[in-house]
Amino acid sequence: MILLEVNNRILEETLNNKIRNALSGHRPESTDVIIADFDGVLFHVSNLSGDKSKLRISILLNYYKQLQEHGADELLKREYGSHLTTPETGFNVSVLVDLKDLPEDWENLVKKIGLLKRYCFDSVFEKYFDFQEQGVEEKMAVIHYREEETMCIKATNDRVTVVFSTLFKNVDDMVIGKMFLQELKEGRRASHTAPQVLFNHREPPRELQDSDAAVNSCVGYITFILFPQHTNKESRKNTIDMILMFRDYLHYHIKCSKVYIHSRMRTKTSEFLKILNRARSEPKNVEKKTITGRTFIRKE
Amino acid sequence: MSLKPYLTAVRRTLTAAMCVENFSSQIVEKHNKPEVEVRASKELLLTPILISRNDKEKVLIESSINSVRISIAVKQADDLEKILCHKFTRFMTMRAENFLILRRTPIEGYDISFLITNFHIEQMYKHKIVDFVIHFMEEIDRELSEMKLSVNARARTCAEEFLKRF
Amino acid sequence: MSSRASEQTNSRRKMPLGHLPACVIDVGTGYTKLGFAGNMDPQLTIPSAIAIKETAKIGDNSARRITKGVEDLDFYIGYEAFDATGYAVKYPVRHGLVEDWDLMERFLQQCIFKYLRVNPEDHYFLLTEPPLNTPENREYIAEIMFESFNVPGLYIAVQAVLAMAASWITKHVDDRPLTGIVIDSGDGVTHVIPMADGYVIGSCIKHIPIAGRDITYFIQSLLREREIGIPPEQSLETAKAIKEKYCYICPNIAKEFAKYDSDPSKYIKKYEGINSITKQPFTVDVGYERFLGPEIFFHPEFSNPDFTTPLSQIVDDVIQNCPIDVRRPLYNNIVLSGGSTMFKDFGKRLQRDIKKTVDARLKLSEKLSGGHITPKPIDVQVVSHYKQRSAVWVGGALLADEPAFYEVCHTKATYQEYGPGICRYNPIFRGIL
Repeated sequence: MILLEVNNRILEETLNNKIRNALSGHRPESTDVIIADFDGVLFHVSNLSGDKSKLRISILLNYYKQLQEHGADELLKREYGSHLTTPETGFNVSVLVDLKDLPEDWENLVKKIGLLKRYCFDSVFEKYFDFQEQGVEEKMAVIHYREEETMCIKATNDRVTVVFSTLFKNVDDMVIGKMFLQELKEGRRASHTAPQVLFNHREPPRELQDSDAAVNSCVGYITFILFPQHTNKESRKNTIDMILMFRDYLHYHIKCSKVYIHSRMRTKTSEFLKILNRARSEPKNVEKKTITGRTFIRKE
Repeated sequence: MSLKPYLTAVRRTLTAAMCVENFSSQIVEKHNKPEVEVRASKELLLTPILISRNDKEKVLIESSINSVRISIAVKQADDLEKILCHKFTRFMTMRAENFLILRRTPIEGYDISFLITNFHIEQMYKHKIVDFVIHFMEEIDRELSEMKLSVNARARTCAEEFLKRF
Repeated sequence: MSSRASEQTNSRRKMPLGHLPACVIDVGTGYTKLGFAGNMDPQLTIPSAIAIKETAKIGDNSARRITKGVEDLDFYIGYEAFDATGYAVKYPVRHGLVEDWDLMERFLQQCIFKYLRVNPEDHYFLLTEPPLNTPENREYIAEIMFESFNVPGLYIAVQAVLAMAASWITKHVDDRPLTGIVIDSGDGVTHVIPMADGYVIGSCIKHIPIAGRDITYFIQSLLREREIGIPPEQSLETAKAIKEKYCYICPNIAKEFAKYDSDPSKYIKKYEGINSITKQPFTVDVGYERFLGPEIFFHPEFSNPDFTTPLSQIVDDVIQNCPIDVRRPLYNNIVLSGGSTMFKDFGKRLQRDIKKTVDARLKLSEKLSGGHITPKPIDVQVVSHYKQRSAVWVGGALLADEPAFYEVCHTKATYQEYGPGICRYNPIFRGIL
């Protein structure tokens, strides 16, 4: 697995189980499940006001307000339509699935719910991609998608700039992460369709200088410059998927590298041990057996 | 200094230093401790020998009547090598139980230390222990640079894979 | 419901790291259960299998796996491992103990990033270990979790203790015993583990070579003798399905036989299957095996000529081996865990059989004393509950949801300060609700 998946498997699995259970005619059970996702997102699957046949899936994003400013509500309405319901207290968005009244293509609905987190973000990108198409210059959007980490989007008439700031909690991670980002910067040579990637460490890029984006010495800044070929209607969906997964993708690979290093070290250590054990002189077998089966210890 | 004479120097010195015997403590009755660690009687300690290839790679051999301590500083060219080296030596010391001669903490200023006592010499072949130390010095350099290359290669593949999807 | 839910989320907010629930991962020999603390069921149960590509290089296993590129990311775990073609399926865990740490580390990597989908830096983790795990293994786990994944906190819990904790859901809040016997029966082997104040009495643990798989084999052999309609390649599968669907424990086999003979239509069930090749349906009559299958727990000689001690006897032996001052509380709290203890009336039968042995012993001692001493009767209690199947995980999820969990966890900071040695000891905690 090189790229991370965008959908939430456990959420889909939970819903699939409930729906299959309902379709095969079993009595619905009461539901109360908490599921987490990357970047502190929390899902809550429960029954609406105790009705076991009504599944309510709620999502909590601490920064939903910032997304709302960019029209997240409208977009979700467009995507989920009548399934959208009043948000549960303590959560931002709720989607309702009625087990008694399932649509024909419920599998698609489950897939879509699995992408709930993605769709919450969708509007910001769409809005700025549209700005770029129309050639409108708009104030930069800043989303604090994690504590101390931000994502900024800015549109000009020929490009959309997305700046991530990501915090490395560990010194080792920072060194490995820096290497990855360096490669990402140079990786454009391999693929002509890729957006330009810039990478700053400690110093925020120009775009961020007069914003409230996170600034810290352990922070790395990654800038994606998206051109119209990425932001047009056809490739838009893919671009958003990629950009959204980027932060977790980076951290996933830092961890994978460490796993790899561990397995190399394990191999090498056991090899060293083998060499050292060669130095041990074989204990002489002084215990001998007579023909009758008695043992005795032979003295030198 | 190129690698070969450096290792030869270490090998020779080490072979000479391995001349140890069983020696009970002169100070505490019924104690038999590695004098190179205890450092209580001056007359039992020999002058330590420092062999350095350059300012980063060096070996310190401290000998005494019943024990030898070898400390190695491994070459670390950049941050990544530093991390890898630290991880690796820590990884090994965690498994020190099996490594018999591995000292659980390195001497200040070095990355890894071995402590060889007369009891080890009685159980193991001297020349093979020397072989091990030399092998270790050769291999750790190679392994560190290989690891670095591999991690770099991974980074490149992953970055390209990511960008290709656009 | 909703008020409870919001209450829950509010209480979570008080915990360190904001509102994020801890991750609970129970890697067993056969299956791995994963999910988030606070839930009542594991979110995912997958086989503890990993499918890797094997290269034809020289050297031992680990040396062969070292690659230059990202080939080490090319692997699958769980059910996907069985579907992957061109891969070799491996099991990193054998008999409860981790055998291959490389594979284990990669297994956890995918558990976290593909299934749980969390940034491990954001969540505390609770992992499980079998009783009598070595302290070194704990250090290795700590090394993986803290160094590779940077988890902020880690707690390694003994499976038996968690199974005990899961049984608390049947009890009153104040009554949370940590003394008792855990009978853990999965697919491969059954363990009887005595525990006093949350500490496993290692010397008294007993293993029984009878578990779920043996029941399946036994049913298969019974069916083979009688039913001819089952396609041979599906006979194990069929036996397993019958075991899970129809089997139960009866109080008395002779009477049960008589019951079946007097009114076969009432007791004999029909199992319907579909031939996987011809797609033709076939039916199987399910008769005596309904109660004979699980009966091998109490009459092991039915299926295994080398092992003839019934489960109830083993439990009694284990308790009699334990220190005298804990024997009574042990009889008092016999906890079931694992899928093979899910048969109907399993607990009832076990309780009755143990009680019988205990009463006989008390009577004997009364007789031997010549009637001068009347021993206080011993209260035997077997605790069954509806979360038995994944009791270990459920117990973990319960404990990891307690604020006290965050206090006993080993944190990244202490790990960096003192090294992996800190994880050798994981304090027991009861949690206060």
